[in-house]
Amino acid sequence: MKRKRYLTSLVAAFLIISLALAGCSSNAGNSSSGGDDVPQELTYASTTKAVGLSPIETNDSVSSRVIEQIYETLFVRDPKTMEIVPKLAKSYETPDSKTWVIKLKEGIKFHDGTDFNAEAVKYTFDKFRDPETAAPRASLLEPIESVEVKDQYTVVIKTKEPYGPMLAALSHTNASIVSPTADKKGSLNKEPVGTGPFKFVEWATGDHITLEANQEYWKDAPKLQKVTFKVVPEVNTAVSMLQTGEVQFIDGLTPQQLPRLEKLKNVEIMKEEGTPVSYLGFNMKKEPTSDLKFRQAVAHAINREAYVKKLKGLGVQSNSIIGPKVFGYDKAAEKLGYNYDPEKSKQLLKENGYEGTTLKILAANTGNYMMMAEIVQAQLKKVGINAQIESMEWGTFLDVSKKGDFDITFLGWTNSTADGSELLYPNLHSDNAGSSNRTQYSSPEFDKLVDESRTIVDQEKRKQKLMEANELAVKDAAWVVMNHGVVTAAYDKSVKGLEMDPTGQWSLYNVHRE
Amino acid sequence: MVGLIIRRMLQLVVLLIGISFIVFMSMHLSPGDPASIIGGPTATESDIEAIRNNLGLNDPVLVQYANYMTGVVQGDLGFSYQTKQSVSEAIITRFPNTLNLAIASMIVAVVIGVTAGIISALKQNSWIDVSSTVVSLAGISIPNFWLGTVLILVFSVGLQWLPVGGLSEPFWTIEGMKQLILPAITLGTGSAAMIARMSRSTMLEVIRADFVRTARAKGVKEKTVIWVHALRNAMIPVITVIGLNFGFLLGGTIITEQVFAINGVGRLMIEAIAARDFPMVQGSVLLVAALFVLVNLIVDLIYSVIDPRISYD
Repeated sequence: MKRKRYLTSLVAAFLIISLALAGCSSNAGNSSSGGDDVPQELTYASTTKAVGLSPIETNDSVSSRVIEQIYETLFVRDPKTMEIVPKLAKSYETPDSKTWVIKLKEGIKFHDGTDFNAEAVKYTFDKFRDPETAAPRASLLEPIESVEVKDQYTVVIKTKEPYGPMLAALSHTNASIVSPTADKKGSLNKEPVGTGPFKFVEWATGDHITLEANQEYWKDAPKLQKVTFKVVPEVNTAVSMLQTGEVQFIDGLTPQQLPRLEKLKNVEIMKEEGTPVSYLGFNMKKEPTSDLKFRQAVAHAINREAYVKKLKGLGVQSNSIIGPKVFGYDKAAEKLGYNYDPEKSKQLLKENGYEGTTLKILAANTGNYMMMAEIVQAQLKKVGINAQIESMEWGTFLDVSKKGDFDITFLGWTNSTADGSELLYPNLHSDNAGSSNRTQYSSPEFDKLVDESRTIVDQEKRKQKLMEANELAVKDAAWVVMNHGVVTAAYDKSVKGLEMDPTGQWSLYNVHRE
Repeated sequence: MVGLIIRRMLQLVVLLIGISFIVFMSMHLSPGDPASIIGGPTATESDIEAIRNNLGLNDPVLVQYANYMTGVVQGDLGFSYQTKQSVSEAIITRFPNTLNLAIASMIVAVVIGVTAGIISALKQNSWIDVSSTVVSLAGISIPNFWLGTVLILVFSVGLQWLPVGGLSEPFWTIEGMKQLILPAITLGTGSAAMIARMSRSTMLEVIRADFVRTARAKGVKEKTVIWVHALRNAMIPVITVIGLNFGFLLGGTIITEQVFAINGVGRLMIEAIAARDFPMVQGSVLLVAALFVLVNLIVDLIYSVIDPRISYD
């Protein structure tokens, strides 16, 4: 009898403690929508961690999200018009096709109080290009031969060959300007110093990064006073945190989370057509995928409309490799691709002796790649192609796909400069076959057009070359475009003024909470 | 006892050298190139080659291992390929989170497990016993991942009693304790179930033993028989399970840390494996292995305290 009483007291004590702790709740579970006293603070959650905060030494999207708030580039692409406009630069001119004279804005200071000037630009780009630095994105400024200081606020960039995508390259996050003084003093990767609207406060590696408003910003100071980038590896947890108000902003939503997010009353969802592209790539060095007829048959077998429907609005169907939001897009390319037509596919397979072919599909087990692989496998079966899926984690996938151990694979490209050359050159030019050109597509005619798009400085002419190159690759069925991306975000309704760039990037400069 | 400790420490050194070699080789021989991952799919071959040179990955594997071990002997676990952070620093900042989580889970496991086990044994075949057995079985079978998500949905999103994630506050503060409750229950449930089953079976054995009957025959109070005579003797196998479980909890926090966004060693390890961040993987595996051995050593030492018949001298 007595023992029973002990047990009851134990359970009661546990409940009392739990309730007491719950009662001490500060604001867990309270969404902070509405009210005048909403703190001007924002927490953003990402599923992976930032690896470094120096634009020179990193090349991953999570680090870039933070870097974009701290640093600034000379030029920037206007998200609305997609035109490149000066940011830290004031103006530029190109006296000849290999020379770029860039005038800089005056009176801008880095967070450490030092001046932003031509020396800083030269220092940043020289360090970026130095082989010792081993910058992951060094190829971006590889065409540059020299960077010279003409006067305090003028830099002269000379290129080895004419470099068409120069402005796009200079508006890339990795080409952000860093404070030379801070870089010489310590590691910008750990203690970043830029000219941007937010200043670095602290970094608990793997957990969170905190930034605060730069009150001395060269434009009006930002309204948000504190910004936290938190790592929440499990997406469902991140959605729960958004629901309870522990975080206010997540991005890169997947179709699986969308139904749950759409039901949340305190959450706003943003979807914008973007520059990313997801594709099915063929191994161009192996039979039968090296045969155009076979690739056409595969392309005709895939019902991409059905696939895009499964994305629940997070993808756009298109035949063009260069997407609608990328420089070099041409509507005419839509008509050149190979649409869903299983009968034609069967006919092509029969005519060319490919009936009953067996294929290996290589798919990374991240993002939507497995879904693509499964859908394509089922659709290929309908036309008589037997495909086996081999799935693997990202690190192994990068290795295996580089070695060309596949017939068909799936990949994507974010295109953070929104310039067609930046899509076609790394992914389909023979210079990069076996590295970033995973399918090892190689066409001298295509290479020539892409080279021209990179070496012509006149933007209209470049666009023409990109359109031609795109048409050629589409006709060649180098890729089957599964979908063009839609950039997404979900945020608490108290967050106002958030704008997404079609590249998926965003700035918190104009954001506030109310 | 001192002899035992010294012996075990020497064994530990040999063990760690063996583990470091196996982990090093398996990381280097398995597919996946750290430089490709750092460069990402956008990097060109020349970019990747430069990164590889920079990390010293072009040296022969055995040379790399020798370089690594030279550092380790001097107390330098190297630098992360990915974040360039010192491995020891990365582990030191995260280890307290993992330790707090493991200890809190162990408390949950021991309190629930031992209590449930003893009650079941004393009330053998009653409804309490049957339900405790069923719950234990469920506890062992439920994946942490599922349990964690459900607890979040019920207690954080639904009832709004506890925060969803993170271990940002110190554990001795109320906020810190609140942050620990759900992860500790998630991680501790499996161990609680195992401990409950073990306590039940050993307790059943002990209460039928001769010395217990003798004690009862001598007229010792039932409470004293159970809590003093029986429990102490039933605890030895239970302590072994607790010790082993604690080792597993320290190394097995990965999923719980993922679900509750806790920045611990488990997560550090899984991220490092995905990024082929060799020095970071090495460092965290060595830490977990060393802890496992140490916890087992402590358990062995506790035996002699509980049962004076066990002596190491």
